[in-house]
Formats: sequence, C-alpha cells, structure tokens
Amino acid sequence: MVKIKSNPLKIDFVKCIIEDKLLQLKSKVSEDTPDLLKVWTIDIDPRESKYVIELIRNKLQPDDPISFLHIKRIKKLKDKKLLTVILCSEELYENVEDIEALLEMYKDKFSYDNLQCEVSVPRNPPPTREIMLSWSELYWPLNWNGNPNDQILNDYKIDMEMITKMLNIISKKSNELDSGNDRLPIVTAFVNPTNPEDYILSIDERDSTGNILDHSIMSGIQKIAKSERSNRLKNMTQESDELTYLCLNFDVYTTHEPCSMCSMALVHSRIKRCIFINQMNKTGCLKLHSGDSYCMQDNKLLNSKYEVFQWLGDDYKIPKIDDRICC
Amino acid sequence: MDYPLSKHVEYMEYALKLARHALDHGETPVACIFVDKKTGGIVSYGMNDTNNSLAGTSHAEFVAIDRIKNQFSSTFDKFEDIIVYVTVEPCIMCASALKQLGILNIVFGCGNERFGGNGTVLSINNDTCTKLPANTVNSDSNRQDLILPGILRKEAIMLLRFFYVRENTTAPKPRTKTERKLDRDTFPDIEWSKYIDEITFNKVFGKDNSGFYKDQKDIFGESINWEIIENGQDHIIDYMNSQCIEFHQPHYSESIGIGNHKKIKLTP
Repeated sequence: MVKIKSNPLKIDFVKCIIEDKLLQLKSKVSEDTPDLLKVWTIDIDPRESKYVIELIRNKLQPDDPISFLHIKRIKKLKDKKLLTVILCSEELYENVEDIEALLEMYKDKFSYDNLQCEVSVPRNPPPTREIMLSWSELYWPLNWNGNPNDQILNDYKIDMEMITKMLNIISKKSNELDSGNDRLPIVTAFVNPTNPEDYILSIDERDSTGNILDHSIMSGIQKIAKSERSNRLKNMTQESDELTYLCLNFDVYTTHEPCSMCSMALVHSRIKRCIFINQMNKTGCLKLHSGDSYCMQDNKLLNSKYEVFQWLGDDYKIPKIDDRICC
Repeated sequence: MDYPLSKHVEYMEYALKLARHALDHGETPVACIFVDKKTGGIVSYGMNDTNNSLAGTSHAEFVAIDRIKNQFSSTFDKFEDIIVYVTVEPCIMCASALKQLGILNIVFGCGNERFGGNGTVLSINNDTCTKLPANTVNSDSNRQDLILPGILRKEAIMLLRFFYVRENTTAPKPRTKTERKLDRDTFPDIEWSKYIDEITFNKVFGKDNSGFYKDQKDIFGESINWEIIENGQDHIIDYMNSQCIEFHQPHYSESIGIGNHKKIKLTP
C-alpha cells in the first residue's frame, strides 16, 4: 500500500479523478440512512472503565466481524455519573447468556448495569465530516478518520500507458466502423492480466447476425470462452494455474457505457475493472445519473463488484449513437 | 395471457425435467422453455451451460435464444408471442435480454435471491433503461406484461438444494457430505408483492386464493411432485427437439414422421 502522500499519481480526492482523466464511478452512499447495526452496551462507573476496555481489547474486538474504528466506544450518560460502553456487535454474540457468561469472568474487576442490545450504530464509516457529525447526533458518537474512499482511490493500480493504448485501439476501431455506416460503432477490448499483450477485441454484431443481443461485450465474453475451450482441448496437460476462469480479473475497455444486460454479464464474468468513454444517458447502468441509477458494479444488493472509470476529456472522439440504444 | 393455471403447470413441468437433466450433467439445475402463446407450440428450450461452455453468460435463457437462431430458424422474430417458462427467476442479465428481445410474458418457479432481475433484486421488467424493441405493442410504456412467479416453486427450490448438497470437489476445502443435510420439508415464504400485484394474482389464481398473497404462502400447498425432480430425464431432450422441429418446420417433421408428440411415449 502506497502512502497517500507518496503516490506518484495525481489524485483529486474530492472529485474522485485520477490523473485528470479517470473519473471513479461508484454508487452513492446514502447520507440519510446509513446501514445500521445493533450493538451490546452496558453502563459502568467511570473509575472501572479500564477493566472494561481490557475485556473489550482481549476478548471481544479480536473476533468481532465489525471494525469499531469509526465509532467511539464510550458515551457519557447525561445527569448520571455513568458511562455507556459498547462491548461488541450483535454479529459477534447473539444471545444475552453468552455475554453474561463473559462478564461473569470479570465480576471481581467491575460491576455493570443495563446490559442490552438496543443501540444502533452505522456499520460503515461516514464519507464526510458533515455526515459524521449528523450521524453522531442521530445515532451514537463517531470518530472522523478521513473519507474511506481516499484510501480506495490511493490503492488503485493504474497503468496509464496501458489504458491510453487500449482506449486508442477501441476508439480507432469505433471510428472505422462508423465510416462504414452499416454497423453500430460500439467496440470493447478484454485484457487478461496474465497475458496483457494478447487482448481480445469485439464489436457490436447485432446488425450482421440479426440477433439484437449481440452487443460487443456479450460477443467478447463468448469469444473468450470459445478460445479457452479450444485451448483446453488442444492442450490437455495444461497446468491448472494457466487456465482462464471466465474473465476473472480482466480489464475491460469499451467505447459506450454498457446496458443492464452487459453490465450484469460483467458481474457474472468476474472482471476486475471496466473503463468506458461515452456515457449513455438513458440506457447506461454504471454511472449514478445514467438510466435507472443501477450502478451495477457495486449495487448493494449484488454480491459482486468491479471497478469502473469513465475517461474524461476529448482525447478519444467516439461516434455518438441514438441514446435509446442499449450498448 | 389467458392460460389456465393447469397449462402453466404443464409447461413448467417440462422446464423442471430439463433442469433435472442439467443437474445430471454437471450443471446448475435451471432450465427454460419458450412457448408460442398462439399455438401452444414449443419454440425453444435451454438448460444452464456455464460449466460446459466456460462462459458466465451461458444461462438457460441464452441457450434457448441461441438455439432458435442457430438450430431452428435464423430469421425467427416473433418474440412478442413467446411465454418463457423458467424454473428460477431470470437473473438481471437474462431479464434484460428477454426484455430487449421483446418477450412480454415470463413465468417462473422460485425467486433468484442473489441476482433476480424480475422483482427480487431489480425489476428490469418495469425499468426505463432496458429498452423493449421500438416496434412492440408495449414500446411506449416500456414495460413487459406479466411476470408470474410461484409455479411449481418447491420443485425448483428442491432441485437447487439437490445441487448444493453435492460435493464441490473444486472447492479448496470440500465439506464432507455428512455436514450437509438435505432439507425436504421447510420452504421460505414467497413475497408475492415483489413480483405481481394483487389484482393480477387474483386473476391468475382465482379470488378464492387471495389469502395466499397476503400470507406469502405457496399456491400449491404442501404437495411436491417428486417424480419429476428425483428421476433422471433421459428422454426429455429428444422430446423437446421433436417439439421444436414441429413448431419451426412442420412440413419437415411430417415428412420424416416425427414431431407429433402424441406418438412419442415419455417414460417418467
């Protein structure tokens, strides 16, 4: 992990743009309703707090699936001279008996009151300081450790030379198709990380095959599967680590923002990253303000994720197409 | 779509048999048939083929679509007349594909909890960004007609359970079979309102059954057709092929004396 200060890439952490060209696209973190999580709390005498901290540090936090880095453990109770302390998440212990048994081991060190699992806290760190303050007010006092997305931006592996090379290839091909005038100028390139020189280029085939579903991404996925099938037939002794599994960890470069079918096909294919050039206002499914705002790459309801960037600026001129077309 | 419930069940039974066939051939047990609603003829069929094809997109629906184009009729374009019967709710990708083709009616068995595109995770059928073809009757509203869940749902769920209790030898640490118990008795509720409104529900299942909608209970009660899902379905492929040929090339099938399904005996 590169420290944020020493990253050679220029990153705009506010606008989420890398090298002035790559705009990071993600679904919106809901500012009104964070994903909430129930936690176990007890009330204690402040003088005994160090023993409670000891319990948390030794017996609870190491196994807790939730990191409490963004949450203050201790809150002062108004009026009374007591503290309310978060012990652990409901995901660590479901039953009150288990918690009581644990507290029993510390009964010589501190006494407690009001053991309950009623307090709700935000599961994930707040994205901005303002949201942190508002959530602290609404739910439970939080810490501000900076925007969690800063680290994500900083950790992306970006090879600008490779990216510009691939975008150059697909935009050139797209313009070639457009001048022929009988085909949709939608082009995609698939790059296998284990063999980046051997990229696979695919174009929209719907007008030549008569199948409206032959979008460039679908054609490319089938092309890759077909070549893998013939490789396996040819070379039966191939080591298992040389086999390609679907499009696992592939980088995908495409001229137009993919539709619901293609953006989901990329989820099924386990790609790592998709970079596109032109937004599709009405039919696109990656950009927050495209179509129905699906953000298929990190829709909370789907378990798979891939990185998405849009190339900014006009380095690559791509033919415009009817905004009703699904790409 | 005015088919009586018994007709939906009849078609779904074929899809379930195909899913069983897929299970017996190392694939996820999901399958579908495409039915022409005007004639009742079978237009195509498909079984999940992702393991064999090495493509994450080879879901049953895509296999059925490709079969029409590659095997039966490269010029086929009457997707508006097709009802898709699929054992598991189409995933988002397939739901989008069916909509872009202009298919208006989809009937399925159980919901697809992780990827469902017709109500469980997203509702592609009612969205604005997935476009129906410009020339279809519904292109103004951009909505499909009927999404009907819950037809032989328990059978579809059981097939998936059969699949998941089998040992996955490619997993890093295969669990032993004794660790996994096959649950044959309990089934989750079905949240009908995710897929279908109450008026449509009553129209399909009858007003007498409206209690099932509110109680989120299975329309077929406790009964499960074990015959279909527990037995091998070796003959289903030949039968489906003959049905599809009869639909696409009736003269051809007459001339070689196949295709009349009454003459072909199906062993259970």
